[in-house]
Amino acid sequence: MLSEFETKLLGMMMIVIMLGMGASLTWRDFRIAFRKPKGVLVGLLCQYGIMPLLAFLLARALDLSPGLTVGLILIGCMPGGTTSNIFTYFSKAVLALSIMMTSVSSLVALGMVPALLEFYSQLAGLESGFKIPAGNVAQVLFVLLIPTVIGMVLRKLNPNIGATVELVGGFLGVMVILFLVVTWIPRNHLLLASTPWYVFCAAIGLGVFGMALGYGLARVLRQDPNRSRTIALETGIQNGPLAVLIVTLTFTGPMQQEVLLIPVLYSLFIVITSSIVTVFFRRKSQAEALARDRAKDGSVLASS
Amino acid sequence: MTASPSRPWHTSYERAGIAPDLEPLPYRNLAHLVQACCRQWATESRARAAFSCVVPNGMNGRLGFAQVDELSDAFAGYLRAVLGLQAGDRVAVQLPNSLGYPVAALGVFKAGCVLVNTNPMYTETEMIHQFNNAGVRVLVMVDMFADKLPAVLAKTGVQQVVLAAVSEFFPAVPGAIVRGVQRYWSRVLPPVTVPHVRLQDALAQGRATLSRTPAVTYWDSIGRHDLALLQYTGGTTGVSKGAMLTHDNLLHNIQQTRAMGQSHMVPGQECVLTALPLYHIFAFTANLLGFLSIGGHNVLIPNPRPVQNLQRAMENFPITWMTGVNTLFNGLLNEEWFVAYPPKTLKASISGGTALHTAVAQRWRELTRTPIAEGYGLTETSPVVSFNPLTGTPRDGSIGIPAPGTDVRLVDDAGQDVPAGTPGEIWVRGPQVMQGYWNAAQETAQVMKDGWLATGDVAVMDESGFMRIVDRKKDMILVSGFNVYPNEVEDVIARMPSVLEVAVIGVPDAKTGEAVRAYVVQNPEHAQAVTPDAVLAHCQQHLAAYKLPKQVVVRDELPKSPIGKVLRKDLRKAVAEETRRA
Repeated sequence: MLSEFETKLLGMMMIVIMLGMGASLTWRDFRIAFRKPKGVLVGLLCQYGIMPLLAFLLARALDLSPGLTVGLILIGCMPGGTTSNIFTYFSKAVLALSIMMTSVSSLVALGMVPALLEFYSQLAGLESGFKIPAGNVAQVLFVLLIPTVIGMVLRKLNPNIGATVELVGGFLGVMVILFLVVTWIPRNHLLLASTPWYVFCAAIGLGVFGMALGYGLARVLRQDPNRSRTIALETGIQNGPLAVLIVTLTFTGPMQQEVLLIPVLYSLFIVITSSIVTVFFRRKSQAEALARDRAKDGSVLASS
Repeated sequence: MTASPSRPWHTSYERAGIAPDLEPLPYRNLAHLVQACCRQWATESRARAAFSCVVPNGMNGRLGFAQVDELSDAFAGYLRAVLGLQAGDRVAVQLPNSLGYPVAALGVFKAGCVLVNTNPMYTETEMIHQFNNAGVRVLVMVDMFADKLPAVLAKTGVQQVVLAAVSEFFPAVPGAIVRGVQRYWSRVLPPVTVPHVRLQDALAQGRATLSRTPAVTYWDSIGRHDLALLQYTGGTTGVSKGAMLTHDNLLHNIQQTRAMGQSHMVPGQECVLTALPLYHIFAFTANLLGFLSIGGHNVLIPNPRPVQNLQRAMENFPITWMTGVNTLFNGLLNEEWFVAYPPKTLKASISGGTALHTAVAQRWRELTRTPIAEGYGLTETSPVVSFNPLTGTPRDGSIGIPAPGTDVRLVDDAGQDVPAGTPGEIWVRGPQVMQGYWNAAQETAQVMKDGWLATGDVAVMDESGFMRIVDRKKDMILVSGFNVYPNEVEDVIARMPSVLEVAVIGVPDAKTGEAVRAYVVQNPEHAQAVTPDAVLAHCQQHLAAYKLPKQVVVRDELPKSPIGKVLRKDLRKAVAEETRRA
């Protein structure tokens, strides 16, 4: 499904993306985030509470095959994708919160993702052949921590190099998905045509329901609408390329083909979903700003 | 009338360790200062930067002292040898804080020309008025606003446009990225449709002429009392006028500014955060000239709004000094990253432009554990008139004592001195006072009286010479015949933690003539919503009944000047329109 060259390229791009994420961070950011941990904690709850459960339930409801199930659960367990920061920016939502959530969920991923994968694979009753070894996942995540730390060090040593790496990383985050689209669709259009509707449902639904539930939970936990929109985007947008990388490193042959289907479809459609949601969120943000403007006149108080 | 006033503040000089007599700087003019200081600091410390410019994502460029000297020489060569300007010709510099600014502005001095500082955000109408009034021949402008040029050039005598980028003198890759982002992402670079030259080309052309005619030829004969700067000020009268400041005015005021900061300054070791625009007289004299003269490093911020734009600069540079206005300090105190990590290297800060609220000053000291003091000045006085010494007990709400070499009187409407403790208009005499307004004899006569400058600000002075601004004469609110000073009411409301910013003005009132109206902005970091009732309840505890706001308006933001002064006049204008419509 992906050639060896493509897998290597994907791996390299992931490293650059993580370098970029590292360069967008300082230790201070983490300490600042945990001074008021609520936003980040709500985000983590959405990320690792809602998404894996949602993936599991979708797989059950659509009665997916073991191969598709493992792909869907894997996507559900992934940390936040760096592209969420770009969509947050265009939605006029809270960029700092988005960056923090992506970073914290990526760090926590080292322990969280293997554990969640193990748990939901058991729950779904997957055979051992379809399980992704926890060690593999932890290894990939650990390897990706190294460029993250290098990114942070680069930024500290030279702000110009740091900012450049940060931009290139963010840019590549989008490029990876375009790369997937351009290289994968032409070779697999027959596969796409023969893919049953419920697989599309799973791949698209995970993102859409994830955003809706993320927004709802954030509101219930008393985050303001703008922060909730940030958390919604962050929840729905997973690190798809990372899932693709883990699958290609774990499975081979036709099995890889099957497991990879949902992560790839998810990565393609989340860009479309997020773009539509971003347009909608942006309008909301602007409408709220307008409403505040109008409220000004109403708040004049004549005390006598 | 011209009798020297008693100078009660001299006793305070002794306590603060300030010499009452000003020793003028040993330079013939500003070009001489630039050359001498750049050469001195270039040899003493090769590695140190004179200027850095930091954009919000942390990308930055820098110029060393030797480069500043060389580049400003080249620009002088361009103006005189290439364009054929004469000494005294006016050159407008219309740039945001960026590395092109010191090169162009200091180059104008080295060409023996007169600098006309211009706000880059000016509209075409404002530019046309200012350039025609000043007789500007050359304009150095930021490329972001080049779309205004066709309309402006058609109606002014500007012969040559030099365009500079915000990322001027950045290293190649970051420079290209910043330009790329400006062009394709934020789309702030309009196409340029008029004949122009890029700053780098102008410098190359100018540099080529220096072997024939070194830059010193252009400024050698410029005297201390020649005109150096036309600094435009709207004042409160509306029409913008150019305050004529000479080399002597500015050289003295550099000394006076340094007297204020000397207790916390080590030449060659300071790094000052320049978030206020250099085209404004405060940052121009204090940061650009003042810190350059002591070998300081200016960290230039092209756009300090939102305040978050300062984060990377504060993270990456060992900031030891800050100049700012109340809104900037307040803004920083409401930033999470700043509160969590106030700069460890900071030594002191000076606030100017508008009253520093007591609540802000106290929180600033608590958080940063460094002194912050308010100074007072005007465009017409280069700008510093008075300051609070940084040593000793802080006196919040005071604008301090007159700077060394400055005489101050407080006078009543009849021009008679008022006794200590009584409000009177501040009149200033000193080496920093302008020569008058450019081509505006009538306006000059209105403010210059027997060598004294009438400021239009009302203050009281205590026995030790410390002054407290009561208010602008024109901002005073007359409620049933009682004077209400907006500053006082604002200071009380600003103490509410739920209030981020506040402005108070007078509005017409059928019963009381005028009534107090307060505009407040919600502090987003505070859980409790600010309501008109809460503001009123708070004021009732601290203010006499006639000073209470009759109306409280909650707004998202307040109109502000380029340096962040809250513009009461804009609020008043809106009210006037409201009343007209009603």
